[in-house]
Amino acid sequence: MPRLHKDKMRTDIMARIAQTISRSDSKATAETPDITERTAAGGETTRRRRPSPYPHWFLLPAAIIYTVLFLVPTATSFWYSMTRWDLKTATFIGFENFHQFFSEPFLVQGLVNTLIYAALTSAMKTVCGLGLAVLLTSDIVARGLLRAIVFFPVLVSTIGVGIAFTVMMHPTRGVFNVALASVGVAGPGWLTDPALALFSVALVDLWKGVGLATLIFIAGLSAISPDYYEAARIDGATRLQQFRRITLPLVRPATVTVVTLSLIGGLRSFDLIWAMTRGGPGFASDVIASVIYKQYQAGFYGLSTAGNVILFLLISVIILPLTVWFQRREVEQ
Amino acid sequence: MTRTRRATTGIIALALAGIIFVIPFVFIGLQAGKSRTEAAMLAFSLPKAWLFWDNFVAVVTARDYQLLLAFFNSSLITVLSVAALVVLSAMVGYVMQRRPSAVTGLAQIFLLVGLMMPPAVVPTIGLLQSIGLFKTMTGMILIQIAYNLSFSTMLYRAFIATIPRDLDEAARIDGAKPRQIFFRVILPLLKPVTVTNIVVQSIAIFNDFTGPLYYLPGRDNVTVQLTLYNFQSAYATQYNLLFMNILLVTIPPLIVFIFFNRQIVAGMTAGAVKG
Amino acid sequence: MSGVQLKNIRKSFGALEIIKGIDLEIAPGEFTVFVGPSGCGKSTLLRMIAGLEDVTSGALTIGGRDVTDREPSERGIAMVFQSYALYPHMTVAENIGFGLSLARRPKAEIDAKVNAAADALQLTHLLDRKPKALSGGQRQRVAIGRAIVRNPQVFLFDEPLSNLDASLRAQMRLEIADLHARLKTTMIYVTHDQVEAMTMADKIVVLNGGKIEQVGSPMALYDRPATPFVAGFIGSPRMNLYQGAFAERAGCRTYGIRPEHITLSETDGRWPGTVRHIERLGADALVYLDVEEAGPMVARSEGHAPVAIGQRLWASPIAGHEHRFEI
Repeated sequence: MPRLHKDKMRTDIMARIAQTISRSDSKATAETPDITERTAAGGETTRRRRPSPYPHWFLLPAAIIYTVLFLVPTATSFWYSMTRWDLKTATFIGFENFHQFFSEPFLVQGLVNTLIYAALTSAMKTVCGLGLAVLLTSDIVARGLLRAIVFFPVLVSTIGVGIAFTVMMHPTRGVFNVALASVGVAGPGWLTDPALALFSVALVDLWKGVGLATLIFIAGLSAISPDYYEAARIDGATRLQQFRRITLPLVRPATVTVVTLSLIGGLRSFDLIWAMTRGGPGFASDVIASVIYKQYQAGFYGLSTAGNVILFLLISVIILPLTVWFQRREVEQ
Repeated sequence: MTRTRRATTGIIALALAGIIFVIPFVFIGLQAGKSRTEAAMLAFSLPKAWLFWDNFVAVVTARDYQLLLAFFNSSLITVLSVAALVVLSAMVGYVMQRRPSAVTGLAQIFLLVGLMMPPAVVPTIGLLQSIGLFKTMTGMILIQIAYNLSFSTMLYRAFIATIPRDLDEAARIDGAKPRQIFFRVILPLLKPVTVTNIVVQSIAIFNDFTGPLYYLPGRDNVTVQLTLYNFQSAYATQYNLLFMNILLVTIPPLIVFIFFNRQIVAGMTAGAVKG
Repeated sequence: MSGVQLKNIRKSFGALEIIKGIDLEIAPGEFTVFVGPSGCGKSTLLRMIAGLEDVTSGALTIGGRDVTDREPSERGIAMVFQSYALYPHMTVAENIGFGLSLARRPKAEIDAKVNAAADALQLTHLLDRKPKALSGGQRQRVAIGRAIVRNPQVFLFDEPLSNLDASLRAQMRLEIADLHARLKTTMIYVTHDQVEAMTMADKIVVLNGGKIEQVGSPMALYDRPATPFVAGFIGSPRMNLYQGAFAERAGCRTYGIRPEHITLSETDGRWPGTVRHIERLGADALVYLDVEEAGPMVARSEGHAPVAIGQRLWASPIAGHEHRFEI
């Protein structure tokens, strides 16, 4: 008898494996591999292939627009970045543009600033976003209104925000420094001090962008079952322990999203910096994206495109390993 | 948490949020109501006399009604590109979700690149020039479609995964062609995510500054964000008009936000938190 | 009315073969049930007949016409899905008439056919509702209505009752049987529930691991199961099956005896054993024995049978109801 049962179990398991692969008995057929293509490619059968009900031509209109206006320029940028170019004729000059990028001090500063700006805004948005999200998921009055208030700046024109804050950061008459003066503090030159300008812009970026981070964290926190907190309380965990041992690990997917999104956004950042400082004073708040625009305006199209390629590579070098690392940690946990 | 504690935390949070997040908007509103000299003081104070309407008229009529033209252009770009985005990305998201194949796998990689990478601007300008679309509304609309396709497609793909395949199959048995399955069965079911898509992308495209800055320079096709940017340099001394302009640019997203808060939240967090 | 023929039908996903060569003849008007454990390939087989899955090799004919490479809509079939698959954005009338409207039939004809189907299924008062506003049983009937208006040569049912509760399931079982009696159309019905198979089928096809184990009428499968698998799958409670020394002494590789074919005695019999547990179901009682030479054995007795846990009993098979398998 046991042997029979074992045999039956084995066939059951085999069947279940087969089913998992075929997914045809279950309703989760979404991932079914494309059989028609496999068999046709394998040449096992001379059968006429029936057309798929999900034709590839559905992709075509979008693919044409996307390929012509995004993929082709991205691909050709690698070539143009190695040329001297006036939009008509491109002369190959090797890595000279890149060499310039890494040797001219004002271009190097743009590179360094980009990294500082991205790291800083990403870190601030993650920390503040999580803090706000914890506050805005706790049981307080006017929670909905507060969420709306924190989120609204995300939807407002970056240029408008930039101009408004530039005015408020005016060194003598600006709201910030007038307020500081009223308590006896001499306010700094927020945007006029070369040592401070980039950080002032980053602060405004935080003000405008923290709402999105908060929103993502709120979604992540809401997905954590209250059972864990109840169990932890029964185990005697303090609020701080609950935060560190339950909230932080379980909100990880949201953290990954916020860090990744804000890093990408920070590395590509242009609008706000351009509206507030134009990269100044001097080159103090220049980033790669503003250098790209300046070089384009100055007619150095090859150099401008080299900036683009550098930004492309920079994002790849930072985001890809980060994603892999995040995923590996995910698996380990 | 006790009731009083819950109330005090809320009130403190409200006060802080008020100072940090609302005051800049109040400042914009106050500045927009002031006279030219008063606004130049940049002070956070009530206007001596409310010149709201005068400033409004001045901004609208400035430079031969350029702002109206800008609103018209921005709206046209937004409406047309979002309409195209909805149909095209729904089709792509549908096939990508339903049919894993080499083609859709490649599409997935390309769309991820689009989600992360900055567009190569100068090569794009060169390309637009060569096909006669540089500085044209058509070119700008196509660019907005290309640049926002990834996000819309991801939204649709995630939503379509929740629509049972049985429906496609029932339609197939009922004799529907692939086109009919999509347009008569699937597309009507995408209404919630389509609303989200329209709202989120409209705001993004309406607020886009970099796109028009590079691909749509010049007076004729000026957009709202560009006017704002141009006013900043032209009206450096007329802060009242500048802030009236900011105020006008802020109102469309505010209205959309009030009516579509839920859809915006859904769109912004979609796919962000995977279990 | 048309029959269905499957000739050496195979299906593979990559290197993995799911359906391993099925030959089957379904007579016109027959109610055939595919039954088997989950993953046996029964749903895949049905979906291949429907045309929703490609056939890797083999031939499929419906009504004498080779439809192996035909689109689902060209096969003369209609299908009722487990989830019903009603279009959520259409009313009941639009759901039932969708196929006709795709075929661009005149509106009057669509209305007439929809009304006729609704009438037959008592759906007339629901025609303007959306599926969301219907009960499970009503949705089921709409799905059947959608199938009827196609006027198919073959009806296909994919576990249509598994989303219903027990009492509704019994009622719908009756309605489907009734539908078959009225329409006399060929029907193929997939289920994992052997009770549904036994009560509805003219012919049961037992599938296991992508192959047919046995084909026959319900009582033929009950009386003469060809393999231990069929023996264990058809009939409730399950047949007692034994291998090893016990089976060898009985002269076979696998020995089977159904609980209802065992008599119990306090004094003598073939196999001595001890009562471990008793389930009293009302009319019957199931007596779980530890039989010394065989191991666990279940016997069916009458509801008030005077047995107690720990009691020593003798179990004996009723002559002519023993099953001996050489596999």
